[in-house]
Amino acid sequence: MANEEKKVITLLCERAADLHNLLDADGNLQGVPGMSVVKLPCSGMVQPLMVEGALKAGAAGVLVCGCQIGDCFYREGNKMIRERLLGMRPPGLKKTVDRRRVLAVWLSRVQVKKFMADASDFVAYVRGLEAPVVEPAKPVPAAKPAPAAKSAEPAEKAAEKPAAAVVKPEDKPAAVKPAEADKVKEVVDAAPKAEAVKPAEKPAVSPAEKPADKPVADTGSGDTAKSDDK
Amino acid sequence: MSALSELNTAFIGAANKAFLVIEDGLNKVFTNKYNPLYYHGALPQFFLWVLFLSGLLLFSYYIPTIDNAYLSKATVNAWTSVRYITNTLPFGGVVRGIHRYAGDAMVLTIFLHMIRVWFTDRYRQYRWVQWISGVVLLAMVFFIGQTGYYLVWDERSLLLTRMTVSAFDALPLIGEPLKGLFLNGTAVTNLTMSNFLFIHIGLSFTLLFGLWVHYMRMTRPVLTPPPAINYIMMAITLIVVFYFPIASGNPADLNAAPTSFEMDAWFLWPYWLMAQMPAMAFWAVMLVGTILLCIIPMPGFLVPKSQPPVSAAEVVISKCVGCRLCAIDCPFMAIEMVPAPANSRFKLLATVFPYRCTSCGVCVGACAFDAIDLPTLTDADVNAQIKQLLQAKA
Repeated sequence: MANEEKKVITLLCERAADLHNLLDADGNLQGVPGMSVVKLPCSGMVQPLMVEGALKAGAAGVLVCGCQIGDCFYREGNKMIRERLLGMRPPGLKKTVDRRRVLAVWLSRVQVKKFMADASDFVAYVRGLEAPVVEPAKPVPAAKPAPAAKSAEPAEKAAEKPAAAVVKPEDKPAAVKPAEADKVKEVVDAAPKAEAVKPAEKPAVSPAEKPADKPVADTGSGDTAKSDDK
Repeated sequence: MSALSELNTAFIGAANKAFLVIEDGLNKVFTNKYNPLYYHGALPQFFLWVLFLSGLLLFSYYIPTIDNAYLSKATVNAWTSVRYITNTLPFGGVVRGIHRYAGDAMVLTIFLHMIRVWFTDRYRQYRWVQWISGVVLLAMVFFIGQTGYYLVWDERSLLLTRMTVSAFDALPLIGEPLKGLFLNGTAVTNLTMSNFLFIHIGLSFTLLFGLWVHYMRMTRPVLTPPPAINYIMMAITLIVVFYFPIASGNPADLNAAPTSFEMDAWFLWPYWLMAQMPAMAFWAVMLVGTILLCIIPMPGFLVPKSQPPVSAAEVVISKCVGCRLCAIDCPFMAIEMVPAPANSRFKLLATVFPYRCTSCGVCVGACAFDAIDLPTLTDADVNAQIKQLLQAKA
């Protein structure tokens, strides 16, 4: 499938940018060709797994749209998904996910125009990226080595406690074989320079949150959590 | 009925948009983190701490007696102790001013808070506990503020006390006992003053209990604005204190009959009402007003009778691994971890309090095991929808 034809999925909070009149029956967004919208009661309902799944299923990119940070009808939903995408709150987005293809924007009900502009930019951007070669191959080996890497511990224990994987989902991708890990890092590191991560943060993020930008690509997220902590 | 609720809904739609536009503007100036409107609930709480601290300082030097000032030049009573605090103690006048204006600011920010939650539709259904406890807290804050005006014991205090007494007098049956409780006896004496002081301080601390109820259904309630906002609020308060210093009126004289006083519209408006109408009518207005405030979130009045029901999140017991993430992330304290059934592989199991659940889906986003779902929109639905969109012709 040529990259230019692939769709981009928006996971949209019903109370954020008001697109209700701009969607056709199939959920395609009028005015931004290639953009399809799935409506959720709150952006906090977005599972990082949904983002991953959409990319795996062949989406060129995934856009998450919630209300402005600080204002959530359900109090904290947009903060939650923001932190999850940035790797500051479990469950996070797998390291293997191409960060350039994930964009989060925080726009209130009235900021439809801004949404349309951001959405078309994003569609153009992800369609301009090279076809994702790493992705289809990745998830399969990435899922398996995890228990293998853990076998350093007594084997029964590793099998006994799948819950450990929940607390630190970052463990899994980190356990990928070094060669592969490097490749991932390359892709991810290349991203910020190609202003891939920047658009993801730009619309949403105030200067105060700037430090959080880099860690999307970085491996450690400890500092981020601190710097963003009020 | 339905016309009223339609009007309310339409109004909220417009008001919500107005708020969003204003907040967007403020975000551009202050950034999201320092947008004062995002701390509408924390601001009154901040002023409460300011009031507690400044009140503690005033309390140290305040003397709750009404010994008549005209008996002797050296009389020590409430009025002279307040004068001493204001004029003699270093920065006493500033502390008194802060205490007064922080009270005004608290009422102002409470109104802002109330208007915002109303206009953004965040006051009903699963939020009724917060609304009702908020109405009670508001009434308490007004009463506490008014007792603050008695404590100064100037002519205004005396008049307010007499007005309150006559308002109680008009009530059948409960009027007499209430009057006794209020005056701590049958007439205004030193005991009355210590009672006022107790009501003022004791009720203030009772606010904390009310606030506990107010916050009960919220995980991580926002209790304090960021320090920067606090400093700015303090700076504004100090500027007001500097330009409009507080002074007492003439000392109260039990033998005189003052008939008018300077109004403080924030706290003393009930007395204005009292002066306009017979006492019974006043009580009726207050009662009806309170009831109206309380039923605002109830369906059938301002809220449509048939609201779409909230379908609470459901735990898939066979999938839940007891990792607690949903319970930690739930913004409404609606999920509790309970010991898992005996034959389970895991120690804990998530359970949902359906009456607290807002059906927002934050728990679904928190679960890496697909073990919790909204009945109206499961994560499988969402994933299927995504797949379907991707498979459809681009």
